[in-house]
Amino acid sequence: MNKEKLRFPFYILFHPFDGFYELRHREKGSLIVAVLLVFLFGLSFTLNRKYAGFVVNELNPLYVDSLTDVLGVGIAVLLFSVANWSVTCLMNGEGRFKDIFMVISYSMLPMVLTFIPATILSWFIAADEESIYYLIKAVAIVFFIALLLIGIMTVHGYSFGKTLLTMLLTFIAAILIIFIALLLAYLVTQIISFFRSIYTELIIRV
Amino acid sequence: MKLRIFHLIAIVILVLSILSCEASAAAGIPYITYNYDYWGDVYYTPAAYVPSGNLSGDSLGVGAFKSPQDLYVAEDGRVYIADTGNNRIVVLDASLKVERIISEFTNQGSVDTFSAPTGVFVTNRNEIYIADTGNFRVVALTEEGLLHRIIENPTSEVLDDDFVFAPLKVAVDYADRVYVVSKNMFQGIMAFDEKGDFTGFTGTIKVTITLYEKIWRRLSTKAQRQRQVKFIPTEFTNVDIAPDGFVYATNYDPDGKQSVRRLNPRGQDIIKKKKDGSLSGDLYWRLGREYSGPSRIIDVVYRGKGIYSILDMTRGRIFTYDHEGNLLYIFGGKGSQTGTFKNPTAIDMKDRKILVLDSHTNEIVTFESTEYGRLIDEAVSLRFEGDEASAVELWKKIIQWDSNFELAYSGIGKAYLAAGENKTAMEYLKLGMDKEYYSIAYKRYRDEILKENLGTILTLLVLVVLALLVRSAVMRHRKKEAVDVE
Repeated sequence: MNKEKLRFPFYILFHPFDGFYELRHREKGSLIVAVLLVFLFGLSFTLNRKYAGFVVNELNPLYVDSLTDVLGVGIAVLLFSVANWSVTCLMNGEGRFKDIFMVISYSMLPMVLTFIPATILSWFIAADEESIYYLIKAVAIVFFIALLLIGIMTVHGYSFGKTLLTMLLTFIAAILIIFIALLLAYLVTQIISFFRSIYTELIIRV
Repeated sequence: MKLRIFHLIAIVILVLSILSCEASAAAGIPYITYNYDYWGDVYYTPAAYVPSGNLSGDSLGVGAFKSPQDLYVAEDGRVYIADTGNNRIVVLDASLKVERIISEFTNQGSVDTFSAPTGVFVTNRNEIYIADTGNFRVVALTEEGLLHRIIENPTSEVLDDDFVFAPLKVAVDYADRVYVVSKNMFQGIMAFDEKGDFTGFTGTIKVTITLYEKIWRRLSTKAQRQRQVKFIPTEFTNVDIAPDGFVYATNYDPDGKQSVRRLNPRGQDIIKKKKDGSLSGDLYWRLGREYSGPSRIIDVVYRGKGIYSILDMTRGRIFTYDHEGNLLYIFGGKGSQTGTFKNPTAIDMKDRKILVLDSHTNEIVTFESTEYGRLIDEAVSLRFEGDEASAVELWKKIIQWDSNFELAYSGIGKAYLAAGENKTAMEYLKLGMDKEYYSIAYKRYRDEILKENLGTILTLLVLVVLALLVRSAVMRHRKKEAVDVE
């Protein structure tokens, strides 16, 4: 792992068009860095949920499960990548699966950088100052969405309108994937229970 | 030897069983008592009120009640029971002995009777208002039982021509305005002036249509739409009047969000509710089988100092709220044990006791407060009056009974805040989930810390600035030297 690859997400932060172009065509990105970023985002996401200050925390900290949160973020990113890849494949997108995954994770950098500082800040604010905290979080999320749109646009070589359209289709595809996954899981449990009952039958009879 | 061991075991078992019997007798309250915390989770509490006896028509010596529907405790302590099935009003004196039975009165020279009286109300001048449902009128009698006035056949252009005035519940305020809950009247509570003329509706509940229902309605054909249920507001179920003239009214809310309203003289609901809070009894319920569905609130009693209790018919529970909409305690339940209900219909308060009328067992169940309930009532009353300082000792006793009672922690926290102990105040206010006052305490604490360390902070700041200045000067100097060397 060289230093340049580690620094590249920060380059993208302020040069998104050039950055994502180089990510796609000059192999500047790194899968390891991407996975690391997703993990870091999951971590900061769950830390924010669990340890945000009393004044701003709307969740019962007892009900926040860090493992579920981190895994959930990972699965959401994978789901979105798969959905986007399957849509863009049919719509002449130039990006490979790897690129889509990297775009999503590299776009998460603003959130990774701000969520933990925002959490720490939230310990030191009173009720009428909470807008600072929410502003920081909102800016990070807007930054993420902007980077994601630019990234998807650049990597696939789309126009802006087409990017929005593919985003919409991606959401539909994601819902379809969830539906099929649930269906599959149900079928598999059915098959397992079928073989298990055959097994019990045999054990008892033979 | 063997026999002796056997004896020993037998004795141990006997002793244990006696002990366990006693234990269950000590906890012998026939219902569970619980409350909801800030997050909406159920936690179990000590009982605030426990059953303390039953009153039936037989035990009073007036013959069994027959599906009695209403109960009212007058200011002088007399109890009035609308014995609906027997077409009479039973009056008990302040010591709960039968004083008289009103079953007839003189109307324009001839004897008149009641037909299924479903509601009864007594003003502070001891005028008895009776919702005489079967005769489609409200009868008002004086204390002596003479006819005072009759309200019937209200006429108004807002009423349909075929409207039948069947009063169910009645309440009268200090200005002799009469509020009537009428059968099949969805437009609100009917208000009458002191002359008995219909003046209009008060407290009309707005119909809320969800987006889903809107879309579904848009998609369906005209024929289908006619077959669908109409969106009508829910009916009011009961009324009570606070001494200040504000009307407490209950209604059935199928969403389980708000079943009690506090109406000002203009008919607007001004009840205080917690943020995203519910004023409708239980927060969660089963969807099918017995005891399912949202709480069906059928009566309310204003108990003074902003405290009011509502009675749930679905699960027979009594929910008590304070003036801010905090749920104070829950007690009561359905069943066949003493102290439970089959079909509760009315609730009222006499001295410190709560009376609940059951129209199926034809009895009045009385409840008296435990130490825990008394402490809460008193502390909340003091809080209502703004005397938070005297309430603190009570709050401290309450958390010894129930260490999950958030209102108590926030009460103690506010006292510490007033005393200037900001850090302790923060701790308690956090336990009380009181974000508003926690912020105030935190701000003061923060200012304190800053003030104490202002010297240190300023010194550090000056040092940092100096260091930066020196550094840039040195750098400039070095650069200059480097240029010079070149």
